[in-house]
Amino acid sequence: MSGVFSSVLMLLGAAFMLVAAIGVFRMPDLLTRMHASTKAGALGGGLLLLAVAVHFGELGITSRAVAGVAFVILTAPVAAHMIGRAAYLTGVPLWEGTIVDELRERYSTRSRTPNPGTTQD
Amino acid sequence: MTIFLWNILLALAWLALTGVFTPGNLVVGFGLSYVILRFAQYAIGPSPYFGKVFDVIRFILFFLYELIASSLRVAHDVLTPTHYMRPGVIAIPLEIESDEEITLVANLISLTPGTLSLDVSADRRTLYIHAMYVDEEDIDAFRQKIKRFERKVLEVTR
Amino acid sequence: MILERLTAVFVPTHLALAMLIIALFLAFARLLRGPTLPDRVVALDLVSTLAVGMMAAYAVMTNQPVFLDVAILLALIAFLGTVAFALYVGKGRIP
Repeated sequence: MSGVFSSVLMLLGAAFMLVAAIGVFRMPDLLTRMHASTKAGALGGGLLLLAVAVHFGELGITSRAVAGVAFVILTAPVAAHMIGRAAYLTGVPLWEGTIVDELRERYSTRSRTPNPGTTQD
Repeated sequence: MTIFLWNILLALAWLALTGVFTPGNLVVGFGLSYVILRFAQYAIGPSPYFGKVFDVIRFILFFLYELIASSLRVAHDVLTPTHYMRPGVIAIPLEIESDEEITLVANLISLTPGTLSLDVSADRRTLYIHAMYVDEEDIDAFRQKIKRFERKVLEVTR
Repeated sequence: MILERLTAVFVPTHLALAMLIIALFLAFARLLRGPTLPDRVVALDLVSTLAVGMMAAYAVMTNQPVFLDVAILLALIAFLGTVAFALYVGKGRIP
C-alpha cells in the first residue's frame, strides 16, 4: 500500500518537474519562464522528498524529509522574488503579449541598456 | 500562544504514554489535547486560540486548492502549443502594514503558480506582482481577487 | 517478493528518472541559449532542483536513505547560490 502511494507521489513529482523544464524551454520571456520553473520545480522536489519519506516509513527519515520539504517550500518564493526583481530592474525585455505594466512608471530611469552583468546575444 | 504550547506539551505526553512515535499518532495526540483544553477553558478563561485553529486549517485547505487549480492552469498553458496567457505587471494597494504580514502575503503570492511578487513600493502601500492571467478589459477584477486573498491571510494572522 | 519490488520500486523510479533526465536536457538547452544572464540563472536553479529530485528518486531506487541527506544539503546550498546570483544580477557586481 505504501509502495503504491510512494510510487504515485514520485511519478507526480517527476511530472511536475518535467512540466517546469518544458515551461523553461518554451515560454517567451523571463518572468513567464519563472512562473513555470520556480514553483512547479519546488513542488515537484517536495513531492519527491515526500515519496522517499513514505517509501522508508521510519521516523528519522520522515522527519528529515519533512524538514527538507518545508525548507524547499520556504525558500522557493524568496529565490523567485529575488531573481524576478533583479531581472526586472536591470531591464530584461518583457514578452510583446504583456498587456499592462504598472511598475514601469515608477522606474522611469529603468535602464534600457544592458547591465554590465548581463550578456546579450 | 501559551495555550498552543500547552497543546503541544500534552500531545508529546500522549506520544510518550502510548509509546507509539509516529507522525499520525502525534496528530491524534494534538487533536485529543485540543479537545481537553477546549473543555478546560471554563477554568483557564476564554482564549482566541480555540477559534484560530480552525481558521488556520481552513486557510491551509483553501491555499492547497488554490495551488492545485493554478498549477493545472499553468501546466495546461505550458503543454499546449498556443499561449493563452495574458501576462502583466499589476499594482496592488496593500491594507497590511507590518513587515511580517507583507512578507507572508508576498511569499504566498509568489508560491502560487501564475503570480509572482516583484517589488514593494518604498512607502509599503503598494505591492507589484507579475501575473500570467489578467483580464484585458477588467484589470480591477484581478486586483479584487488578490485583495480577497490578502483579506483571508489577515483573518488568520489577526 | 521480487515481483512486488519490481512493480513498486523498479518501474516507478526508472520512469521518474527518465522524466527527470528529459527535464535536465531541456533546462540545459535554456542554460545554453540564454539569451540574458537572468534566464541562465533561472535555468541553473532548475538544474539544481532537478538534481535534488534525482537524488530522492535514486534513494528509493537503491534503498539507501543516505542520499536523502545529500538531497537536502544540495537544496540548502542551491538556494544560497541562487540568492548570490540574484544579487550579482541586480547590482552588476558581487557585493
